[in-house]
Amino acid sequence: MRAETEADGDVVRAVLAGDRERYAQLVERYRDRYARYAARMLGSTDAAEDAVQDAFVRAYDQLAQCQDPNKFVGWFFLILRNRCFAERRRNRTQAPLEAADQVAAADRADGGAETAERRRALQHALLELTPDQREVFVLKHVEGLSYGEIAERLSTSVPSLKMRMHRAYDRLREQLRDHE
Amino acid sequence: MILTVLALLGMQQGIADRLSGRVPPDVGAVVESLGTDAAARGLPIDPLIQKAIEGSAKRVPPERVIAAVRLVVMQLDTAAAALRAGGMISDTLAIAAGAFAINAGMDAHDITNLVLRGGGQTVVNVRLELNVAGTLVAMGVPSSEASNLVSASLQSDSPATKLLSLPSRVQGEVARGATPAQAAAGLARAAAAQARRGPPPGHPQPPPHPPAPPHP
Amino acid sequence: MSEYDFHPLVKQLLDGDITIADLPAELRAEGEEALRLLAAVDRSPVALPAVPQRVMRALTRTPQRSLRWLLAPALALAAALVLWLGGGRSHGPIAAPGAVVTVHFVLSAPDARAVSVAGTFNQWDARATPLVRTGANGMWTATLELPPGQHQYAFVVDGVRWVPDPTAPAVDDGYGRRNSVLTL
Repeated sequence: MRAETEADGDVVRAVLAGDRERYAQLVERYRDRYARYAARMLGSTDAAEDAVQDAFVRAYDQLAQCQDPNKFVGWFFLILRNRCFAERRRNRTQAPLEAADQVAAADRADGGAETAERRRALQHALLELTPDQREVFVLKHVEGLSYGEIAERLSTSVPSLKMRMHRAYDRLREQLRDHE
Repeated sequence: MILTVLALLGMQQGIADRLSGRVPPDVGAVVESLGTDAAARGLPIDPLIQKAIEGSAKRVPPERVIAAVRLVVMQLDTAAAALRAGGMISDTLAIAAGAFAINAGMDAHDITNLVLRGGGQTVVNVRLELNVAGTLVAMGVPSSEASNLVSASLQSDSPATKLLSLPSRVQGEVARGATPAQAAAGLARAAAAQARRGPPPGHPQPPPHPPAPPHP
Repeated sequence: MSEYDFHPLVKQLLDGDITIADLPAELRAEGEEALRLLAAVDRSPVALPAVPQRVMRALTRTPQRSLRWLLAPALALAAALVLWLGGGRSHGPIAAPGAVVTVHFVLSAPDARAVSVAGTFNQWDARATPLVRTGANGMWTATLELPPGQHQYAFVVDGVRWVPDPTAPAVDDGYGRRNSVLTL
């Protein structure tokens, strides 16, 4: 049972005052919060683990620049987001196959091989989108956020998000058709 | 000089504190690293820090600042070796002065000779010798002449005052038409002659801490 | 619009703004295809139990990072101690400890609007030591108390032009200019 008695802002301030070990509290609290987002953005759980770890380390190094310590997790998300976008640029040519194994294990119970194959195909197709397109798709259809919530988090407008998303729909359809 | 781990850690934080706000972080990180390595070899770090701060104040691009700091480290290493060859072991203040002299154009072996000749003479700060020798070289006095002139001045009864007055006296001779080399050689001969004669009769014993000369 | 593009109404379906019942008959099949696409989305949660340990270990691995956070207090003292621990034949400074020398800085710069002196004695801060215009002949002066030792400096004219002292010995500054030398 995890006692979350302390507000994020207090923990951040304690870390800035020199108590490095307290940072572990924040990492524990939010280690999985964006893990799925990172996994779908990058195509595998392993890549997500690297990205989330790097983002927490980066956040520690830049902790003094966190404008509002009470909103640590939103600020951390932006750092992780940058990391995910950078990773994708680096691994442009790689087509990760781990997604298939992880997904297959989870789906053996409900629908078997066909569902697993469709999941793998969609994840593969997602990786063919631009990071912006993939992100809006993941935030809405994986994380379940509304357009309004996404717009607030990314500091953008609903119409531009919809335009991105609708292009994503078309490209996904194109990718999936090629594989049928 | 063996630095304990704690002293090395202290060194690093000391460097970071002095650079903070005065140099860009990327420059600071490299200088911290260079400085800690230099300190572990027994070199002074103040010259590195000064050079980095100077470069940032002069709006020099980061890579050039780092190149200048690396050059300072090289000059410190050269000076330390020259001092060791003269029998002097790890005096950070003297090493810094030696690096200054090298940057001014002095040859490492002239530094070694200066230290060797200083042994057994009147007790004088090696740092001052090197600072003055470097200043003379900066004025155009050849390296070996500067070394000779400084060594000759050690034999006077108030060597510190004598040393500190050398640059302005050389300048005076140059103003009267001598080349810097001629001026230095002439002053060295005069100093040697005076040493042979001994102090003039009636001269009181000089105070242990002679007053510093006015700015020229 | 390519043949692969979803119909705008189907996109509204995908967005969740309408249901499949709202689609006209000719778009029903396309609608089903769209819903199958959404059904293939992997929403299973992802857990990263190794992250906290890996993060905390990464934070301790780099010496600078841990030092900055943990060892802040007593370090300046240790640094000072190390600097003074030099052995060898150093016999201390010539002047008495604490003695300073009065130094007059002078520069002739009739056309300047501002002149300052920056050097090793003031962290090369071009704003720290302004000179004052003295007399009517464009002379600028400042007086400083400096400790014995070796100092390097230059004048800064109008905040941007670094000018060595024409009356003092000069050395290469490593940056394409010359610094003036003051040995006290």
